[in-house]
Amino acid sequence: MMRHILLVAAREFRQIAMTRSFWLTLLILPAALAIGPLTQRFMSKDEPDRVMLIDHSGGGTARAIEAQFERERQRGILTDLSRYVQRYHLDDAAPTALWSQHDRWYSDADVARFVADGGVDTALTRLKPATPDGTPAFTPDKPRYVFLAPSPAITAATDGAVDSALRPLLHPTGKDAEPLDYAVLVPADFGQSPVVRLWSNGDATQRFVATLQPVLTQELRGRYLESNGLSADAARTASAIAPALAISTPPPGGGARERVLIRSILPLVACYMLMMSLMLSGSWMLQGTVEERSNKLLETVIACVSPEELMYGKLVGTVGIGLSMIAVWMLCGIGAAYATQGTIADMIRPALEPLNSVGTIATMIYFFVAGYVAIAMVFLAIGAMSDSMRDAQGYLTPILMAIIIPITILIQGILSGGGGIGIEVLTWIPIYTPFAVLARLGSGIPAWEVIAAGVLLAAFIAIELVLLGRLFRASLLAGGQRPDLKTIVARMRA
Amino acid sequence: MTQLLELTGVTKRFDAFTAVDDLSFSVREGEVFGFLGGNGAGKTTTLRMVLDIIRPTGGTISVMGRAPGRENSRDIGFLPEERGLYRQMTAIDTITYFGRLKGMTAAAARDHGRELLTRFELGDHEKTAVEKLSKGMAQKVQLATALVNRPRLLILDEPFSGLDPVNQGLLENEILHAAQRGATVIFSTHVMQHAERLCDRLLLLAKGRKRFEGTQDEARATLPAQLDIVARTSPATLPGVANAAPLGTTIDGWQEYRVSLDPGVDPGDLLLRCTEGGVPLRRFEPRRATLHDVFLHLVGTAPDAATPDLDPNRRAAA
Repeated sequence: MMRHILLVAAREFRQIAMTRSFWLTLLILPAALAIGPLTQRFMSKDEPDRVMLIDHSGGGTARAIEAQFERERQRGILTDLSRYVQRYHLDDAAPTALWSQHDRWYSDADVARFVADGGVDTALTRLKPATPDGTPAFTPDKPRYVFLAPSPAITAATDGAVDSALRPLLHPTGKDAEPLDYAVLVPADFGQSPVVRLWSNGDATQRFVATLQPVLTQELRGRYLESNGLSADAARTASAIAPALAISTPPPGGGARERVLIRSILPLVACYMLMMSLMLSGSWMLQGTVEERSNKLLETVIACVSPEELMYGKLVGTVGIGLSMIAVWMLCGIGAAYATQGTIADMIRPALEPLNSVGTIATMIYFFVAGYVAIAMVFLAIGAMSDSMRDAQGYLTPILMAIIIPITILIQGILSGGGGIGIEVLTWIPIYTPFAVLARLGSGIPAWEVIAAGVLLAAFIAIELVLLGRLFRASLLAGGQRPDLKTIVARMRA
Repeated sequence: MTQLLELTGVTKRFDAFTAVDDLSFSVREGEVFGFLGGNGAGKTTTLRMVLDIIRPTGGTISVMGRAPGRENSRDIGFLPEERGLYRQMTAIDTITYFGRLKGMTAAAARDHGRELLTRFELGDHEKTAVEKLSKGMAQKVQLATALVNRPRLLILDEPFSGLDPVNQGLLENEILHAAQRGATVIFSTHVMQHAERLCDRLLLLAKGRKRFEGTQDEARATLPAQLDIVARTSPATLPGVANAAPLGTTIDGWQEYRVSLDPGVDPGDLLLRCTEGGVPLRRFEPRRATLHDVFLHLVGTAPDAATPDLDPNRRAAA
């Protein structure tokens, strides 16, 4: 019997694996993982934005703006360096250094200290002795902005004439001429008037405006205080006063809410993959069964193998296809997590931590395979009753809706942090049990519930195999009209 | 000769409909056995029971001394009436797959598959997907799937239906080829000419019941002897003559008659009586009955007269 089952399974597997749609589906995820970063690289601007600051109010504001942009760049470098040190466990090189303090936000004073200590070059020199061979080098991000000095003509232009003077720079006509991305005019009466003009060659980015805004606010306040009798130094000091917020943040993905989400990633991904691969491989199997019926080769086959062997063989073949797809997707995901750096990798790695637990792995595999069998059987029975894919669609559409909609709601519910009664109820409806248990694994499900739901699911599958097995056997050689509900029930009872 | 297949009192009912009714017959090892009957006679249902595709309602079946079951498939080759193949599989993979289902090793199935394809002049198409083969070629591949395991028992359900004349000839040769190497061949048909050319013995089935089982000669013997004679006077009054129908017109006083004799009367007896009775004869020719005649005589309708309401394919799993 087992030989026949395996032969049928191997044929099913090969037939599906030979289809173009299988390979397209299989390669979608790896392709997306490969293309994503490449697209990001191609889509992102390689060259820094060209910025011109025109300060008709004395020059101090332009210098303050440039200093603020540099400060932000150094803050970014310091943050990235801290992540790098954390990722490759290099803290021992200088445990008290700013870049070894990972769980905090770097204030302006921290950034000033980092720069005063020699910046990234000094930091890398200090890190070098502690860095093992083969560790990827740290590469600071390139500057996002380059500041261009205004031409004497623009500097000399009145506030009202700057508009026309800037037009050729923002929209140059020469083929190789590089346009300005931003121009900022601080007018001569800045202080009396709060107006500052900003020209942008496209949509001004939030980042640019957010960096510019506090400097201008500070300048404006200083001038206001000065005009109201404070000395220049006092005005500057007063306007620069800011709370020294000592912000402590958890490491990436270390927050309580994040931890739940991250722990849920793998089970949810498994749940989603189960649904995806089931729908795909189930429909391929359905197509194969319908083909066997419409090609009239079933009689030849069941002269050699029993209907039960045929049914189990098809199930095994389809489960094999589904698991292969998931294995490939998982491996690609793990590969992406460990072969790349960055925030996504930092999130995926802790998400894979549940794989360290044998119990979790066993639970995932059990509910995954059981879910596959439970739903694949439905596809198989539909295939045995249908002479064409159009026939099959008639049965399939309502069943798929009944399966997919609650599962989609379930996944959304888990993602939004809800544990609600609806999700618990779905846990006890066998057709949804695998999805609900998988989805709840990350957010916490009592062990007794896992075991009880597993036993219930096993019992459901046993009954399903008997009833749908009878339906499959009785429907294989039956011809004529599509069976109605009464006939289906009669075949299940036969 | 041992009995390779034996059915005793086999009945198959689908709800209130009786497809096969108390059927008993046996097939001896090495013979070519014809399973004759019109549409809906119960031929396919009987063969499906032999193959364990469906189970009988009553009676017993013995296949090679065993109960029907998939374990017999390694010794059985089967060509169903409704044929089809996996369209995306190549010819050789299809044959190998069925060989393996019948218990062969992959290598043995592939080797014999290649041999069969070469014999069927499809050697150049072994790696062609079935969907790219012509209908005639696909029919040959289907036949090869039945023969790949060198079956001891070859069961062919309406094997000639849908075949082009070339493949009909090929199939007849393969049946004879299988019989020569000692295989037992059972084939169902409603075309009597094939049975006449191939069968050692035959079973005649109508409405699920056996009407006759025996050799072709025994089948013909169930019919009263017939002969065509040309005489000056009608032989109708002679003892032993059941009927003498004139054929055509009288030429110079000579008339042709189709004479049917009473059961058990030998044509030689009639010749003697004609001579003794002074009936002048110009021609005296015993007429050999066809299986078609036998069928008409025993069943009352032509074997190809369809009885759609009794189509077992529709009822088999209803």
